[in-house]
Amino acid sequence: MHPELTLTEAAAPAATHSNSDAITVTGLRKSYGSVQAVRDVGFRVRSGEIVALLGPNGAGKTTTLEILEGFRARDGGAVAVLGLDPGDKAAVRELRERTGLVLQDIAVEPYLTVRETIARQAGYYRAPRSVPEVIGLVGLAGLERRKVRSLSGGQKRRLDLALGLIGDPELLYLDEPTTGFDPAARRGAWDLVRELRATGTTILLTTHDMAEAQALADRVVLLNNGAVVAEGPPARLGGRDNERARISFTLPPGVPVADLPVPADIQNGAVVIESADPTGELHRLTRWAVQRDIALSGLTVDRPSLEDVYLRLTGGGAPSGAAERSPR
Amino acid sequence: MTTATLTGRRPYRRRSLGLVAHQVRYEQLSFWRNPQSAIFTFVFPVLFVVIMGALFGSVGKSSYFGGLSALQYYIPTIAALCVLGSCYGQLAVVLAARRQNGVLKRIRATPLPAWTYFIGLLAHCVLVSVADIALIVGVGRLYGVPFPSYWAAITLTLVLGAASFCALGVAVASVISNAEAAPAVAQLVLFPLLFLSGTYMPIHSQLLNQVAGWLPVRPFNEALTGPLARHTGADWRHLAVLAAWGVIGALVAVRRFRWDPRPE
Repeated sequence: MHPELTLTEAAAPAATHSNSDAITVTGLRKSYGSVQAVRDVGFRVRSGEIVALLGPNGAGKTTTLEILEGFRARDGGAVAVLGLDPGDKAAVRELRERTGLVLQDIAVEPYLTVRETIARQAGYYRAPRSVPEVIGLVGLAGLERRKVRSLSGGQKRRLDLALGLIGDPELLYLDEPTTGFDPAARRGAWDLVRELRATGTTILLTTHDMAEAQALADRVVLLNNGAVVAEGPPARLGGRDNERARISFTLPPGVPVADLPVPADIQNGAVVIESADPTGELHRLTRWAVQRDIALSGLTVDRPSLEDVYLRLTGGGAPSGAAERSPR
Repeated sequence: MTTATLTGRRPYRRRSLGLVAHQVRYEQLSFWRNPQSAIFTFVFPVLFVVIMGALFGSVGKSSYFGGLSALQYYIPTIAALCVLGSCYGQLAVVLAARRQNGVLKRIRATPLPAWTYFIGLLAHCVLVSVADIALIVGVGRLYGVPFPSYWAAITLTLVLGAASFCALGVAVASVISNAEAAPAVAQLVLFPLLFLSGTYMPIHSQLLNQVAGWLPVRPFNEALTGPLARHTGADWRHLAVLAAWGVIGALVAVRRFRWDPRPE
């Protein structure tokens, strides 16, 4: 696949913990009976970063996250979270003081009000944020006295987020934080996550939404079959930035492909030009078209999307354009 | 790491009692606002005594009720029912539901110590039971049953009974993995046991009484009947059986309790 990426990033000496690392994971292993959920996971999250864990269902994301959160014991490997070992019973309490988490389930008691739910959680921490501040942060202002059972699904999820934030964590885990949000609420949640990062909070999130990973994450760790298959900034994941650009448009009527000024293919009825030099080739192409007064309808220039790379590296989905054109 | 743990530990200890009170406060709010728990757990036993008083209030002591009047017989058994409902029944149902919807896991993710959570629950259940029993004894007084006098024995029996039935409730919640099944299973175990133990009517079969004497409910009924109706002190033999059940419940609870809805 992309050995240079997995080697440099994942197999780096992550075990040597430095102060700028919020999380270091090396050689993590975990089996459930005969099923190896996590076979070899290694990555690091630097303080103040937003890192997205991506991967298909069953890739090992949840297991990895639960080991980091101290909910599950690992079979092997080294883990340090904020310099503490989540597998060490004596360290777990301190870890929970300093981390917050928002799980996939909406877990709130129906008969308390919004304010009571958050105030109760605040009582569990040494130095919590103020309750009104958190209510404002998650956008529940005005609903303080509403009973939880009368909230909408999206409002309950925001309340859940408030519970993750109330302890003023240094590190926040978000497990599919915007699933079920409408687009406006999703944008709001993204703004909140960026705001938290700006105040120095480190964030590790999982998501199935490539747009979310692209918009939020400083770096992406891609898991498949219990191992890291790629890691890097979303714009460069899997060598995305080095791949050839792809110019495409609809072939104008009466023009043979051979007449085009640059070498081209026909794919699904569209002209596709793979180019290492899109600036030059696009210029030659458009000059040719303008001189002949031909319109290039549907003209686009793009690179493989994060989703294309994701599907290629996890071997999932129907063969995408990216997969089709590589053996050329 | 050691320094962080050390500096972190002191405030916890200072705050633990306050934290228990904090927990109890919110447990109480949740309890009283939930019409199902408030009515079935709290109001039902009081109604039962009111009806029994209306039916049998004027009936004097009889051998059928073991030398007691009907109300003297029912006040302790219904007091025991209060504890069963607010400790065993409530915890079995509430904890199974909280585990299933993820509330327990979320609590686990906070620095709240597990023992604080459970002591808070126990204190909450004791409070509900005590309020309920006070009402029942009050209703009994209206029907002419004299107030009990052995308060120390009553307190001891109540606390031991509440702790034992809380432990059994947590044990049942630990063994049941499906929250929808919890109320049915809890009732299925409890209902025959109540009849067998003489909660609703005196049992005159020696064999049944002997069998029930080794199960948790009858010893609790007997231990409460002494100080509440017969004006005697603590009933150590029955308290010992009750405590043994409490220990069994606690062992199962400690070994089997799960915070996570999806265990490994």
